[in-house]
Amino acid sequence: MAAADTPSAALRRRDLCSRGIRLARKMRSDVADLLDIYVEQQGLDASISVAAVEGVPVAAADRWDEQTGAQRLLDNLAAYRAFRALLAQMLEELREELGSADAALGQALAAVLLQVSAFAYHLEELLQLESRGPPAEEGSGLPAPPHLSLFEQKLRGLGVLRELAQWAVRSVRDLRQLAKHGSGSGPASGPAES
Amino acid sequence: DSRIQYERVGADVTMKCGSMDWDAAVTWTANGTDIDDSHLNGSYLILKNVDLTRSGQYSCYEGSSWHLKYQTYLKVGVPPKEPVLMCRSNNYPKGFYCSWHLPSPTYIPNSFNISVIHGTREMVCEKDIFPKNRCHIRYLQLFSTVKYKVTLTVTNALGKNSTTLTFDEFAIVKPDPPESVVAKPVPNNPRRLEVAWQNPSSWPDPESFPLKFFLRYRPLILDQWQHVELSDGTSHTITDAYAGKEYIIQVAAKDNDIGTWSDWSVAVHATPWTEEPKHLTTEVQITETTSTSTSSFMPPPTTKICDKGAGVGSGAVAVCWTAGLVLAAYGVLFI
Repeated sequence: MAAADTPSAALRRRDLCSRGIRLARKMRSDVADLLDIYVEQQGLDASISVAAVEGVPVAAADRWDEQTGAQRLLDNLAAYRAFRALLAQMLEELREELGSADAALGQALAAVLLQVSAFAYHLEELLQLESRGPPAEEGSGLPAPPHLSLFEQKLRGLGVLRELAQWAVRSVRDLRQLAKHGSGSGPASGPAES
Repeated sequence: DSRIQYERVGADVTMKCGSMDWDAAVTWTANGTDIDDSHLNGSYLILKNVDLTRSGQYSCYEGSSWHLKYQTYLKVGVPPKEPVLMCRSNNYPKGFYCSWHLPSPTYIPNSFNISVIHGTREMVCEKDIFPKNRCHIRYLQLFSTVKYKVTLTVTNALGKNSTTLTFDEFAIVKPDPPESVVAKPVPNNPRRLEVAWQNPSSWPDPESFPLKFFLRYRPLILDQWQHVELSDGTSHTITDAYAGKEYIIQVAAKDNDIGTWSDWSVAVHATPWTEEPKHLTTEVQITETTSTSTSSFMPPPTTKICDKGAGVGSGAVAVCWTAGLVLAAYGVLFI
């Protein structure tokens, strides 16, 4: 149980959650724009289905409403740390593929990477507040990238960005729940209950 | 024994009189009325190019004994056209519902079967009792990138048809319109209207999944709407209303982050507060010699005529005749 349940801690938590929500919403908006640019520049069909990509944290959650605040923070942090590494990898692959030819896509990707890093840091702050402290990052965070064809790389990139967009929405909801309920046990009655 | 026979519009129908021979003497009736021999080929009844009016009970009787030898209920209809299917979540994140209808009638009974697939998972769509062309699904998972695939198949005795919808979780989120919209004038403020509303009751958790709102308003005399988007709160004060003009106001809702706007709420009408014209009130008082009270500052005659006694700007639907004079005077000024 978090030790930080004093009024000032509660205020600080609400403040951090509000800022986090604003960061996540901005991030979601920028990821949506990035997706449009990515699909166009990579010559992909926007409606193409992409199978689950190994190493990409999946935003989908069963029994989401039953999660504790602490679990939400930990899941979010793990996800954004993974996205940080994945986006860095994508940026590297893009530079190898395109050199500096496509400034718009590279810049948009770099901007989102910055926001993901900032958000991960923000989550670490929230975890500090809950007296849990963020877990240590595991090595480089990702296994070595699989050897993929150029087309497979593009599809993988699309999968990463789509999943990131979902996470941005989920993070807004998670932070709102955290602000409402704190980091302890889940809500007494979640939205999924009849 | 009684049976039902389904035939397509335009078909040629041949009915045999049970086990009677072709050359047996029989009488056919349709809904109790004898059928002309011109429709008979031996003991067979021939109905060519049937239309909907041919539906009914057909009976065949043995010639001399009038024993009933065969009876059937003919139902003329058409196979189903592709059904129209719609899915929507007005109670996110609890679940969503799908509803359907046929674009044109088949005139015979139809059955509907719906399947919902999410990835590899087949989900149960529980049929609503009312309306009967609707079913609902609970979300088992949130924030999934995997699309939902809903297939509706309609079947009747003459054929079947189906349609499929594919969508993702966020795209179908559309709240119901806001409820209990109320608009009131603000005392002593001729250009303001206070509007308040409530979240739709079907939205299960507005605290965790807050809605934002879109308000539109215009004076009845103009066609162009003014719009205001509001990211929080369930009230708003319009500050640029035309004095004395009746307004029509509506509100729509949307989840803060996903989905689409609701339909517009029921429209409400309101007129901003206007000041009582004192000189006019005095003239009217002089002409009313018998029905007023004794106070020297009597309530204006408009108070008696109107249902709500707070004066012209009470928000009441009825327009007082003296207020009409005032409005006419203002109308001359503003138009």
